Amino acid sequence: MSIKLRYLLVFIIPAMLLYTVFIIYPLFDSLILSFFSWPGVGARTFVGVKNFQTLFTGSYAKELFNAFLHNVYFFLLLIVLELGLGFLIALMLASKIKGAGVFRVVTYIPNMIPLVLVGFMWGLFLNPQVGLVNQLLKLVGLGRLAQPWLGLESTALTTIILVNVWRNLGFYVLVILAAILDISPDLIEAAYIDGANNWKITWRIIFPLTFSTFRTLAILLFIWSFNIFDTVYALTGVQAGPYRSTDVLGTLFYRTAFGGLGSGAVDMGLGASVTVFIFMIVMPVSILYVYLVEKRQRSA
Amino acid sequence: MLKLSLFGKIIVYILLAVYCLVILVPFFMMILNSLKSMRDIFMKPFSFPTKVLYDNYTKAWNQAGIGTGYKNSALVAGVSVVGILIVSSMFAYAISKYEFRGRRFLFIYSMLGLAFPARLAIIPIFILLRNLTLTNSLFGLILIYTSVNIPFSVFLLKNFIDGVPNELSEAARIDGATPMQIYWKVVLPLVKPALSIVAIVSFVNVWNDFFFPLIFINDKSKATITLAVSIFFGEYSNQWPLLFSGLTLAIAPTIILFLLFSRQFITGMTQGAIK
Repeated sequence: MSIKLRYLLVFIIPAMLLYTVFIIYPLFDSLILSFFSWPGVGARTFVGVKNFQTLFTGSYAKELFNAFLHNVYFFLLLIVLELGLGFLIALMLASKIKGAGVFRVVTYIPNMIPLVLVGFMWGLFLNPQVGLVNQLLKLVGLGRLAQPWLGLESTALTTIILVNVWRNLGFYVLVILAAILDISPDLIEAAYIDGANNWKITWRIIFPLTFSTFRTLAILLFIWSFNIFDTVYALTGVQAGPYRSTDVLGTLFYRTAFGGLGSGAVDMGLGASVTVFIFMIVMPVSILYVYLVEKRQRSA
Repeated sequence: MLKLSLFGKIIVYILLAVYCLVILVPFFMMILNSLKSMRDIFMKPFSFPTKVLYDNYTKAWNQAGIGTGYKNSALVAGVSVVGILIVSSMFAYAISKYEFRGRRFLFIYSMLGLAFPARLAIIPIFILLRNLTLTNSLFGLILIYTSVNIPFSVFLLKNFIDGVPNELSEAARIDGATPMQIYWKVVLPLVKPALSIVAIVSFVNVWNDFFFPLIFINDKSKATITLAVSIFFGEYSNQWPLLFSGLTLAIAPTIILFLLFSRQFITGMTQGAIK
């Protein structure tokens, strides 16, 4: 259908105005700001690529690399745990068992809680002396395993990741489950008649047919893994202790742009260059995501 | 789907039961400990309180500003959702049902936000709000949340509106309906399921968000529920009974809503993210 321009503008302008002013323009401005030094008020000073030098080869290089590796570790562990466990639990829920509906609801409950509050809750449970986790270990006679989970460089980051998994696993379970239930039952019935066992059906039928869902989830996990902030903030703070062992790009960014106890001088330009770095990592994967989404829409 | 032997079924039930315990026990412990004295929490963490202290809840409610947090979060999430529904559905309707130059460009342009988390633009957004004197303001938050949720909502709504037969809107037009009337009376009623998915997903996203309030709000009376609890945890870090009851209060509304409407939530959240 055709439409008069003035009507068209009425429909288009509100969304495009908000979106351009508050999302697209700020994204571009981040890029521009990363070439400036700016304490947050007053004039911006153009410094060329100095911020990136500070980040990649200067005083922040070690911290940046350290945080980046933690994001990568986050991503890898989340892939294994959320998609692996998610697939396993989804398969169990997809088999003919009674009460699957109840299990489904229970799985999703933690997802309804704000991530930062999940962090605070587990922060209490993980307290080294009086937290319930260590108390429980003592109660069942495994007291020697009790340790300051968030206080040791060796365990802190993994603990934070496990808290994330506790909260988000249900989402992955339900998305994968929905993909499994989309498979025609006849197909699986036929495979049984041909004498296939559950193992074969899982890997030769279910997994290939749900692969596109896994791919989408992996892409989203990648993007989300580089935006981790809330749980680290709640569990080990913006200083990402002990000794930055839980630091991620999100907390590093927060310190450079907005400060926090013990941070160096706050510089919004330097902060912006951290976001540009995150942007560069996420961009190829994001473009792939938009491409896949658009392709699927065109074929639908 | 998969058929299991009796033995297999037993194993599956045991594993699922363990998983449910891992999920539910923390909630149970949170509530249990929220009713205890400090001494009880430390000395007998797993037993029932020697004396049930309902008073913890009154104290936490007042000191954490839970009531204000609920009110602010409900206001911000409610208004944002209405804003998102209106602007996104109008935009999606226009690019789905009308032919004009630049239509495909507008669609791809609106998808860019799906790919780039708005958090990466937080500094310029902060400056922008400061220039508009909208930092430390719930209206500022509403503007940001409405904008952030446009890409995903447009995408989902366009998918559904594409599915509304063109004959219907054609017929309405021949009967003399204006584009606004077609949008409001013909198209919107037919995409109600999509509207409810958008409403649920964006409501939960906004209600659960912590990052934007953390950066933009610095006045307790304007704190959303996540920020209020975060401040409370900073100020009362050693008052464990109150921390547990404050958390319980902060978490309760969404959990109750979810249990009441679990089916809608689950379809909404899983479809909204993937489709």
